[in-house]
Amino acid sequence: MKTKAPKRPSPWLAGALSLLLPGLGQIYARQRYRGGAVLIAFLVVLGMVAWYGQPAWYFAPLGIWLWNVWDAVGQAGERRVSVLIPLLLGLTAAYSIGWQMVRVDFTSANWERGLAVLRPMFRPDLFERRTELNRMWTPISVPCSTTQEAPPARRQDGEKLAFATPDCAGVLETVIVSVSGMWPDTDTEIWWETNIGDDKPLGGNENAPLIVRTDETGSLTTTIRVPSTILIAQPDPTLQLTHRIYFDQRRPIGGLQFSTNGGFVVKGMTESVTMALMATFLAVLLAIPISFLAARNLMSANPFTFAIYVVVRTVLNFVRSIESLILAIVFVIIVGLGPFAGVLALAVHSVAALAKLYSEVIEGIDPGPIEAVRATGANWVQVVRYGVIPQIVPPFTAFTIYRWDINVRSSTVIGMVGGGGIGFYLIQWIALNDMRAVGAAFIAIAIVVMTLDYVSARIRERLV
Amino acid sequence: MLRIENLTKIYPNGTRALHDVSFEVQDGEFLVVIGLSGSGKSTLLRCINRLIEPTSGKIFWDDIDITAASPAELRHIRRHIGMVFQQFNLVKRSSVMTNVLSGRLGYANPWLSLLGIWPAADKEMALKALERVGIADKAQSRADALSGGQQQRVGIARALMQDPKIILADEPVASLDPVLSHSILQYLEQLNKDGLTVICSLHFLDLVHRYATRVIALKDGVKVFEGLPKEIDRAKFKEIYGEEAQEVRAASFEAEA
Ligand SMILES: Nc1ncnc2c1ncn2[C@@H]1O[C@H](COP(=O)(O)OP(=O)(O)OP(=O)(O)O)[C@@H](O)[C@H]1O
Ligand SMILES: [Mg+2]
Repeated sequence: MKTKAPKRPSPWLAGALSLLLPGLGQIYARQRYRGGAVLIAFLVVLGMVAWYGQPAWYFAPLGIWLWNVWDAVGQAGERRVSVLIPLLLGLTAAYSIGWQMVRVDFTSANWERGLAVLRPMFRPDLFERRTELNRMWTPISVPCSTTQEAPPARRQDGEKLAFATPDCAGVLETVIVSVSGMWPDTDTEIWWETNIGDDKPLGGNENAPLIVRTDETGSLTTTIRVPSTILIAQPDPTLQLTHRIYFDQRRPIGGLQFSTNGGFVVKGMTESVTMALMATFLAVLLAIPISFLAARNLMSANPFTFAIYVVVRTVLNFVRSIESLILAIVFVIIVGLGPFAGVLALAVHSVAALAKLYSEVIEGIDPGPIEAVRATGANWVQVVRYGVIPQIVPPFTAFTIYRWDINVRSSTVIGMVGGGGIGFYLIQWIALNDMRAVGAAFIAIAIVVMTLDYVSARIRERLV
Repeated sequence: MLRIENLTKIYPNGTRALHDVSFEVQDGEFLVVIGLSGSGKSTLLRCINRLIEPTSGKIFWDDIDITAASPAELRHIRRHIGMVFQQFNLVKRSSVMTNVLSGRLGYANPWLSLLGIWPAADKEMALKALERVGIADKAQSRADALSGGQQQRVGIARALMQDPKIILADEPVASLDPVLSHSILQYLEQLNKDGLTVICSLHFLDLVHRYATRVIALKDGVKVFEGLPKEIDRAKFKEIYGEEAQEVRAASFEAEA
């Protein structure tokens, strides 16, 4: 051994070489790979810092350089040197640059804005109390006409009586309105309905509900101003037409019901789940035949089928790498807005994903049982029924349920690009800043996704 | 009586797994096939029921030429040849009962069997077969919930469902421990005593000596020995298994002597 051993490398020379060029000393000490790795690591870190960094970060390549000298000395002296230090330096540099690239800036957080958005979300607009409505209205003519006398602005409905004085009025004129025979001591909302059925609030600056309380006899009298905007769409503003003034009272009758937005949440969620179901169903129908073409063990018999296998696999991998959200944008253009575009997008992505999973199941089939069933004298169909199907159906089913589960998640966002489902409502509520409805949608999504997650996990557990 | 004449098998990749093998098996024999790994034992057994197509040669069962049988005739012949495998070859996800019933497929109404419907008589027969191998209580378990020894007994029960005249057993005990090996082979021995012909490949000489009524040995696809178990002496052993194997297996001769 000793006679064969070449002259020991000098630690001094190794250190000097590495000082000149990182890694050179290690190479001199017959550690070629280590030397190469040190050089590459040094150059990568130096490059990163030079490209992005502030001058202060040069400590990282500098540190690696110094460590490299020490390492070269150690290698020449056949001493073990830990690579922990350059590793930490490299990671620190990468992390700092990453921090800068993604512009981490916690000071940009605006708590007021955050709270303004979050607070309503904690009062989700899903349910409302069930109420009973007590409604009364009176006609009123707008505007007054010189040629035609206005019909009386007065209406009787059983006990209830509503009237306005005068019988006609122009825009922004004041009118006295009265109603009696309503529920006593109850808040009453008074609002205007134009001749074409537009609702106008009468409170505030024509932008808030006007609410007046009835007295103990169930009557109220107040003044209103004819809203300024009621004639805007009128071809002839001097033509006298009949509008209505409504008096609405509500009182709870116990129990809850879906609010208007809550109804949309349920509708959207049902649509999302159905979309996912339809997409999965479509995908299964296509994925089963394709998966046989993508199964290596079936297709590698001759060069022609193997070529098909390669093409099918490549196409599947390509399609699978495109998110269904992006596919949805394309399908919205092709088939128009709505759940059908979403179904197609989910289906295409699912075909690719399922075909791959299925084909792996087929590749993993155990030939033993097939052989055993053949040996009993079974015919071809019986061999498939007793040797093949029992091996592939449970994993196929498990993967399919898993896919449906994923599709439900995806379908909740796919609506955001016009693909139907809850996302379609969600994106509009976000645009309208209706955060209570957004909160309701979040709750619905969470409940449905969590439930399906659990159910699908349990079913798959039993199948596999 | 089973007669194998000049059987040769060359796989598509050129491997010559069997070369001009001829022998006879009388009804009621317990014939054991021995030989090194790769010597062609599995190929030989699978040629008999044509799970593997022989390249040339003939196999006669009484006067039927198995090698010339049409697909339909072949299925009829296979019905009477039960097969037991080293890896048990059960459908792991199916129940024990379904696995055993699948042994009856050659007899079953094809349409009903596709629907998974079995006559009560077949189910009863399956339970009897399971009882015979001592695991009737496991009928509803999933096959992969059973231990190796139990799975092999399911394999035997499946073969019994065929009303077999011959049992082909390809290293039925190679994945089992010595105690289980004996219990499985005892089932085969019992069947043999009930009149079935058993053709079984085995690795361990002590088992060969204990169960075989006759032995043939293969080496590189060629039959190198045919005779009674006690005729396998040290020289024959060397010839069959090669020089290197001697030290490993010598112990079993020392024990004999
Ligand atoms: N499907 C196949 N294609 C090509 N060659 C094969 C095939 N099956 C087996 N062989 C080859 O044929 C020869 C005999 O194989 P066989 O399985 O019959 O041996 P064996 O005696 O059963 O071995 P073991 O004790 O390991 O089970 C071996 O050389 C094997 O590599
Ligand atoms: Mg074998």
